[in-house]
Amino acid sequence: MLFRIFIGSFYLFFWSCEPFVSDFEQARMVAEVYESTHKTYTEPTSRPKAVTWNIRFGSKRFPFFGDSCGDDVIMQKKDVESNLLEIASAVNEIDPDIVFLQEVDIYSKRSGYVNEIQYLLDNTDMNYGCYASVWKADFVPTNGFGKINMGNAILSKYSLEDAERIGLSLRTDQSNLVQYFYLRRNILKVKIPDLDLYAINIHATAFATDSTKQKHINKYLEVLSEVSDGGYIFVAGGDLNSLPPGASEYDFCDFDECDSENFHTLDEAGELLHKEASYFDNFTGEKEILEPLYQRYSPAVEVNIMNNSDHFTHAPSTSEERWGIKYDRKLDYLFTNAPNGWSVDSVKTHQELWRLSDHMPVSGILNLSGD
Amino acid sequence: MRVLLHLIYRGSLIGLLTVSALVSQSSAGLLPKRSWEIGLFQPFRYGFSDKINYSTHPILFFVMPNLSIKVLHRKGKLFSSSTRYSVYYPTKLLKMLQTGIEVGDETASLIAPNFKIPHMVGFSSDYIITKPYGFGIISIYGGVNVGVVFGDLDDRTSIDLPLVYHRFGIFYNRYGIDMGIDFSKQITDAISCDVDFDLKILPNFSGSYSFEHKILLSWKKSERVSFSTGYKYVYGEFPYGKKGRLLPYLPLIESWVPIFDIQWVGLRKNRKIK
Repeated sequence: MLFRIFIGSFYLFFWSCEPFVSDFEQARMVAEVYESTHKTYTEPTSRPKAVTWNIRFGSKRFPFFGDSCGDDVIMQKKDVESNLLEIASAVNEIDPDIVFLQEVDIYSKRSGYVNEIQYLLDNTDMNYGCYASVWKADFVPTNGFGKINMGNAILSKYSLEDAERIGLSLRTDQSNLVQYFYLRRNILKVKIPDLDLYAINIHATAFATDSTKQKHINKYLEVLSEVSDGGYIFVAGGDLNSLPPGASEYDFCDFDECDSENFHTLDEAGELLHKEASYFDNFTGEKEILEPLYQRYSPAVEVNIMNNSDHFTHAPSTSEERWGIKYDRKLDYLFTNAPNGWSVDSVKTHQELWRLSDHMPVSGILNLSGD
Repeated sequence: MRVLLHLIYRGSLIGLLTVSALVSQSSAGLLPKRSWEIGLFQPFRYGFSDKINYSTHPILFFVMPNLSIKVLHRKGKLFSSSTRYSVYYPTKLLKMLQTGIEVGDETASLIAPNFKIPHMVGFSSDYIITKPYGFGIISIYGGVNVGVVFGDLDDRTSIDLPLVYHRFGIFYNRYGIDMGIDFSKQITDAISCDVDFDLKILPNFSGSYSFEHKILLSWKKSERVSFSTGYKYVYGEFPYGKKGRLLPYLPLIESWVPIFDIQWVGLRKNRKIK
């Protein structure tokens, strides 16, 4: 009798071990879908406008401990809602048909437990949304971080079908303990039947110092090829965390380092030390990592202007107050395989919105007509 | 590896969950005068007199000073009643959880570093009635918890985990109400079973209630040593919505670390006066 009780207790322990971290072990999963609480019908168009924007979980230029030289962790809910309202207003002004978002929080402690995808749907002209979590944990025990659910989202004026989360490789340059609580990046793919095209969103690794970024871009190319080879049109957007081929600067360590940091010194192995996410030559081929994308598909920001400073989309959130720099590199992209590519003169990098995130949106109008 | 990680992480919550030990409910009954009991992790309980019991958690006292007094009002065949008063000072423990420990380049901590944790004192008072029936013993209780905060406590310092959130919620909400019912049954001479249902209410708080249910099996190995194990189910409202979780029950601190508790009991002998 006692033996049975203790065995039962043992099984109970393991049964109740519901993980605190979602590891998304399946390579492909159905993504979450959302709808605006007040939908408005929009006539399908052959010239849909797309925009990609890493909204930095609605924190604007908050001095967050994780990605800037700040030491703050958790924002007030009212500040997050106020920031999101500004983002929603900017989206309405751009007036896109499809929005690719990265770093969208849902019920995360750091962003006041706001469901940001629902908030943006309810405060923009977008009607439908889908979401794929990149980082989902009931409790991250680091700096009081707490509950987190951050991910990629696609918003659309038109209904969505077959929303799919496609998992990307994990970093290999971390300890098992850190990796357990770390990000599970993904590609979010969804069909928009009214426009007869696929929308594909990615947020590739920023901080990996191994070849994980190469794996992410390879997977992105594979997914785009699948769609293209299937005879479908796609519009793809995202934060690729990679520079365009031929960029003049690959090392931003001096600009990005915080007061307490010191890079470009030799580490114990005699290697030159660089800041994660600020150096873009970690492995052979990283400088040219996006070349296949440019070769196969139509970029919104064309090759001849892709390295112009008026198309830079990012600078760390504290760089303006530290250095007076609002943007100094391009990390955010739009591509399509539509035969006619992008409408002439429709593409814009919205650098005027630099205060709303540490990334700036890129928009363009697809030309899906035969004209 | 994963199970190990769970244990490391869950173990880090042990300190926090001791709050529940301080206010854990039981019957209105008291320990006899001069008798005592203590578990590996349970509070030390002492029968000061036939009408008053003291209890404190001796290990945790250094990080969270705490004291409970249970006063018997009525002891009879029909029913017994008592009141328990508790006081605890969680500031030092919370500051420790805020400081955390270094793990590689990261700081493992449960509270964000850039908030001030003010001095706080928690008080609770519960009225307990116990009535014996043929099928077992039933106790009901109800009480009020008050959190006194000396300064500003930012609500972003909350630890939003089951069991923890609603217990420390009184310091953000300033007060809370708790109530519940316990059922106790002696199955055999050596084995007993305890079942309880508890409700914690924090009116107007973001996450205003928590329901807890527990089943605990105890095996009394000898007069002085007993083992116990079981589970606890928690369902509550949090700032992010409603959430339920089943936890193996560690009787000492209502954690979900799978440890069996061992308990010792004794009687303080009178010193002979020469």
